[in-house]
Amino acid sequence: MWSRVVEIMLGCWLVISPFIFAHPDTELTWWISDMLCGTAVILFGLLSYWRPARRAHLATIGVAIWLIAYAYLRSSEATGAAIQNAAIQNNMALGLLLMMFAIIPNDASKPPEPWRVPTGDTTRSGSSPQEPDDLPQSGTDRQLAASHH
Amino acid sequence: MTVSAPISSDSTADSHAATDLDAIPEPFDYNPSSWSQRIPICVIAMVGFLIATYMGLFQWKLIDSAWDPVFGGQTEAVLTSDVSHWMHKWFLIPDATFGAIAYLGDAIFGLAGSTRRWQYRPWLVVIFGIDVIPLGIVSAVLVAMQGLVVGSWCFLCLVTAVISLVLVVMAYDEVWACLKYLKRVWDETHDRKLLWDVFWGRRTAEGEAIGARFATPATT
Repeated sequence: MWSRVVEIMLGCWLVISPFIFAHPDTELTWWISDMLCGTAVILFGLLSYWRPARRAHLATIGVAIWLIAYAYLRSSEATGAAIQNAAIQNNMALGLLLMMFAIIPNDASKPPEPWRVPTGDTTRSGSSPQEPDDLPQSGTDRQLAASHH
Repeated sequence: MTVSAPISSDSTADSHAATDLDAIPEPFDYNPSSWSQRIPICVIAMVGFLIATYMGLFQWKLIDSAWDPVFGGQTEAVLTSDVSHWMHKWFLIPDATFGAIAYLGDAIFGLAGSTRRWQYRPWLVVIFGIDVIPLGIVSAVLVAMQGLVVGSWCFLCLVTAVISLVLVVMAYDEVWACLKYLKRVWDETHDRKLLWDVFWGRRTAEGEAIGARFATPATT
């Protein structure tokens, strides 16, 4: 879950970014975007620890795309020195970082859950202590059953 | 020859080629997804990350000078050249910072996944491969061109270019094993749906059987 921890820390950074980079009061959309995105990233990271929402971290990819898109949107209207605006760079860097971390699965060092049980263990979908988790798909059990004869 | 998925649920199942995490994929005599293969990649990528971050700090004007034991002031000329300003416009961040994020990505994607990720998470190995190999080669070429186009040389840029190429050499084996496995699945089945499932690491009977034949159990 190291990836979720980093995401939550990056989310905190985003929430406090308006203060760090001293967004002017007139730039209300920057304030809202940074704080809202940060809050969403923290929320998705925490939700990923809750089993029914274990893939919530994938929603962070959407936030990252928004951060990058918004950075380009704002940079296209800026000219000259304004293009080096700290808020734009912050959004771009955070968008790239979050995109990389967000695709890392929970418990990334272990195999995906369907692969954690030995070959031919037909109990894995029914009575195994952990139900199949990573990328469950309907065909698997049927195909495994079919391979038994 | 058809070989069915080995069915065994006894205590030796874990050492079997189908689910043995240390199994050795073709065409190698070692497991390229093992920690001893991947950790050094992450360490070297982090060195690249630190060097690139240092140059990024200079481009951000957070530090006043950039160290260069060989070419003296030429590093600062490269880091403030027109080329670097163009790239800053395209990436919205300094090119060194962009490189730093790419090196960090090498380390992140190198760390994630089990020691059988060439079969269990091909998508991750492919992303890792894209980050390390094409991006690494392009960045090394760009550094060389920067020296020729700008007319100044930057010692630390050259160091990072070497790191990129070293990473390519160190990472190619795992990507190769992974692509070879995917190709084997395609060659044996010509089933798009199956290839799609296998790419995303879903457990299918066919993929498992092909993977079991593709790998040999660890000899330890």
